[in-house]
Amino acid sequence: MTQVLSVALDAISSSLVLALVALGLAVVFGLVRVINMGHGAMLALGAYITWTLVQHGLPFVVCVIASALLVGVFGLVFEIVLIRHFYDKQFETLLITWAFYLVATQLIKVFWGTDLHSVANPIRGTISIGGAVIGRYVAVVSLVSILLFAAAAWVMYRTNVGIRVRAMIQNREMAMMLGVRASAMYRAIFTLGAMLAGLAGGLISPMFSVEPDMGTLWLVRSFFVVTVGGLGSLVGGTLAGSALMGGATTLVSLVAQQVFAQTVVFALAVIALRFRPAGILGKKAA
Amino acid sequence: MSDDLGGTRIESVRRHPAAAAARRWASGENIAASVVFVALFYVPYVFAGYPVFVLPQYMLFGILAMSLCLLWGLGGMVSFGQAAFFIVGAYSMGIAVHDIAGALGPWAGIGLGVAIAAAAAAAVGYFLFSARVRDSYFVLVTLAISTIAQVVANTASGVTGGFNGMFVPKVALDLPGLALSLQSDLTAYYVVFLLTLVTYVGLRTLQRSAFGKILVSIRENEERTESLGYNTALRKTIAFAISGGVAALAGAFYATDAGFVSPDLGGVLFSTNVVVWVAIGGRQYFLGAIVGAIGISALSNQLNAWIPTYWQLLLGLLFFVVIAFFRRGLVGTLLAIRPSMRRAQ
Repeated sequence: MTQVLSVALDAISSSLVLALVALGLAVVFGLVRVINMGHGAMLALGAYITWTLVQHGLPFVVCVIASALLVGVFGLVFEIVLIRHFYDKQFETLLITWAFYLVATQLIKVFWGTDLHSVANPIRGTISIGGAVIGRYVAVVSLVSILLFAAAAWVMYRTNVGIRVRAMIQNREMAMMLGVRASAMYRAIFTLGAMLAGLAGGLISPMFSVEPDMGTLWLVRSFFVVTVGGLGSLVGGTLAGSALMGGATTLVSLVAQQVFAQTVVFALAVIALRFRPAGILGKKAA
Repeated sequence: MSDDLGGTRIESVRRHPAAAAARRWASGENIAASVVFVALFYVPYVFAGYPVFVLPQYMLFGILAMSLCLLWGLGGMVSFGQAAFFIVGAYSMGIAVHDIAGALGPWAGIGLGVAIAAAAAAAVGYFLFSARVRDSYFVLVTLAISTIAQVVANTASGVTGGFNGMFVPKVALDLPGLALSLQSDLTAYYVVFLLTLVTYVGLRTLQRSAFGKILVSIRENEERTESLGYNTALRKTIAFAISGGVAALAGAFYATDAGFVSPDLGGVLFSTNVVVWVAIGGRQYFLGAIVGAIGISALSNQLNAWIPTYWQLLLGLLFFVVIAFFRRGLVGTLLAIRPSMRRAQ
């Protein structure tokens, strides 16, 4: 019984961490239809900024917030300089954001070198739930993830901004005629996506080693979360996608090595993509 | 005046079919390709030692780049998974040389590698294309393919040597009445040179065939091509299979030429390199792929020793500029200069 509970806790917490990482990508992909291949690099950037600030003795929470803001600034500049000219060409933005990934990863190597770094766990210790043990920090990050998704749902469905965003997704021309400033909104959404990536990078930095290429695997994982869950619904789709991806990875790694489990899950996700191109929660593809 | 000129030209063409054929052949691309291949042919006459040793590897990268060029330039499909097929060829060669003794080994390695990679590409391709998975989603799947390839190469250490990599001896290719030992750098150079040339000519022929034209048509407008009665999923699958096979061919020769296969050769980063070569060289031209692969690999080799991080940064920035502003790439831009010069005359 304890073992089942422990596996369940593991699956839930890893799904929530995955959802947290994927949220920034889902926001940009789902709302402005830009496939941000630079998401992984933004994540790594957030982790590095957090590491640097922690080294300077700042409180962890401050470091994470600073990472989110700084990576947000990077995203904003990137949007103003390049991305905004390519919104109507999805495939070009994919390649341009991939170029951003290459450049950002190299900049990380220039500034911080290629050595592995680790951020000290800010909340040590474990908590026990019905005999199953989970790290305190992981629990807190899971909670942050839940709160972020609740906030996203609230913004999307309970505020004026949410109405505008949803109107713009449904019919961009009509929304613009009704007074939604699309270019400003696109810029805000792209910047928000970058901020979320920086935040996630800062938050996961104590759990994983910080290295320049750390974002690549997270990028692929996040993509599958978004596509498996479905583009249509930001909150539900991303949560469903990460529950499936995270849950499946945890279950498969019970019988196989962790890396191998990842591979099996990727293969399953490709199969899911083929049979449900619009995602589990998405409407049938037109 | 210009009418006269045009008239004369048509006259001369009518009178001399050979001249007509020559004129048709003498496109900017063919002339540039001849220059590049003649230059590559004479490299061992001018430089001895290191260039002759290292250029075959770059030419094999050129073949790998051409395999992407077939997908991207002709079919409009970007693949971040070419490295996966490359490493399938490389491991096949390594395993066959170790396990099958005698003259058959290398040939079995090449054949198996190409067959396995082409079959895998065909299976994955048809699975996806028949459900209209394309563009960005296809890129995503190919990204997963190279991630998976790298993980499998790292974990299946019994077969691949895992993290430590696999050593592959330099083989001898036995042909009837001729044994080509790749142990000699010069022989290896010309074997790989010939392979590159044959692949280039083969792919160019494919490009000019009906199949190549349908691929371009799919790139421009898949729905319209389909409504004209072509099975686009099948055509794309065939293109992906050929591309996988060509990548594996390059991989098989790379294994024996470089002597060592590491799991990184199947990964996302190496696949990214291939995309960068083709983008900078010029995605519309197979020659662009070759020039991009050889040029950037050679530059990387020089500059990695000198300014490693800054060079990679510069390469990233160059990729940025090419994607955003010079979509034709180096060769495409150079070849585009010619017609305007002709008009000015």
